[in-house]
Amino acid sequence: MTPYGGLTFFCVLALVLIPAVVLGLMGRGLRRYGVLATVALLLVIFDTAHARLLLLIFWVWQLALGGLSAALHRRSIGRWVRGCLVALALLPLAAFKIAALLPGLSVSFLGISYMTFRAVDALLDVWDGKVERFSPLDYSCFLLFAPAVSSGPLDRYRRFVGDLYRPVSGSEYAELVRDGVWRVMTGCLYYFVFGNLIWHFWLEALPDGGAGYWIGYFYGYTFFMFFNFAGYSRMAIGTAYLLGIRLPENFNRPFRSVDMKEFWANWHISLSSWLRDRVYNRFCMAAIRKKWFRNPHTSAYLANLLTMTLMGLWHGLTPGYLVYGLYHGAVLCGNELLDTRWKAFKKLKKRPLPRAVMTVVTFHLFAFGLLLFSGQLL
Amino acid sequence: MQEQIIAILNEICGADPGEIRGDTPLFDEGLLDSFALVQLIVALEDQLSVSLDPAELERSDMATPAAIAATVAVHRA
Repeated sequence: MTPYGGLTFFCVLALVLIPAVVLGLMGRGLRRYGVLATVALLLVIFDTAHARLLLLIFWVWQLALGGLSAALHRRSIGRWVRGCLVALALLPLAAFKIAALLPGLSVSFLGISYMTFRAVDALLDVWDGKVERFSPLDYSCFLLFAPAVSSGPLDRYRRFVGDLYRPVSGSEYAELVRDGVWRVMTGCLYYFVFGNLIWHFWLEALPDGGAGYWIGYFYGYTFFMFFNFAGYSRMAIGTAYLLGIRLPENFNRPFRSVDMKEFWANWHISLSSWLRDRVYNRFCMAAIRKKWFRNPHTSAYLANLLTMTLMGLWHGLTPGYLVYGLYHGAVLCGNELLDTRWKAFKKLKKRPLPRAVMTVVTFHLFAFGLLLFSGQLL
Repeated sequence: MQEQIIAILNEICGADPGEIRGDTPLFDEGLLDSFALVQLIVALEDQLSVSLDPAELERSDMATPAAIAATVAVHRA
């Protein structure tokens, strides 16, 4: 069953969440009930024997790697072992992405992209000694957390485990319920009302071919993607609140961004911040410390290209996603170039009229990227 | 220490002398971004012998030179 896909799922969700709300308002911890709720929702979401078997194999695989990381990190073992563990954690994702390209082979594994990045996040935290004690149960709850299992937001291991163990009083939980229900309701409004209206009355009503089609699709698809994805994220975050987990926000008024750097700090925030911390920062720090390049800004350009290409390929190993990633890497390089070489650029961002113009330009740069993402051009 | 941090920031951000003061909001003024933050952390490692992980830092920890000085002091302690 598709999560948040229709009335049946919401009925099941209500049945699962009502005991959580009762327990939470009584000031009782939700850690144990959260395990039950996740198992129940996973059985509903992964509703075929084939899907459940895949999930079971994936879970055991990642659990073994997490346990191995916990067992090995204190020993004086070369960093290459950590690299191997990360590669092994990424292996199922790579295998599924490659299998999806093979003709005649129909494979799908709901949420594997998000679950894999969650597994890598935990694995790196455990290896880096940032986790005092590795608990297989906490790790499993994080990896398979049902409200965000299919499309995020992409949470962080230590933040999630912190929520699991943080005592929440009845009155604090009442605030979580209020905020959570608000997010679920506004998420429904975005996803089912605005998203569906745009889909049925804008995108499906476009003329066949010609400039009218392309202009209509350019704007319509951008707004559809925003309401669809932001709505989905809000429903997932709101549901998680009711289970006592404060999942991170995923969108923060992205279309008000003045440049692409700011845009990526406000669109799909959980993924872009994950990539920033795990790829961009690590690459730049290594390049600056080891003086890989004469001009330090070269590392920023390469890190932008690397990070955004990975972001594109994370969606799928198709030419469209590759070009989408490279395009955004190149746009961010242009942004970096303007920031460093043209001093007036930063000052212009603060003046109302240039700021308004840049905001419109940023929107169109992103909308063109979504056109590449949509596969309509390639 | 704050003066030393301001000198580092001047070099990284290409700021004019006097543009960055102890209370200058570095992110709001567009002086610090992801790359400048990484450069700053590596410079602090080299010059002030303090090890900071950008993923561990809150935006408020590095919001102004004064806040950076306080963060460095905490991590050195």
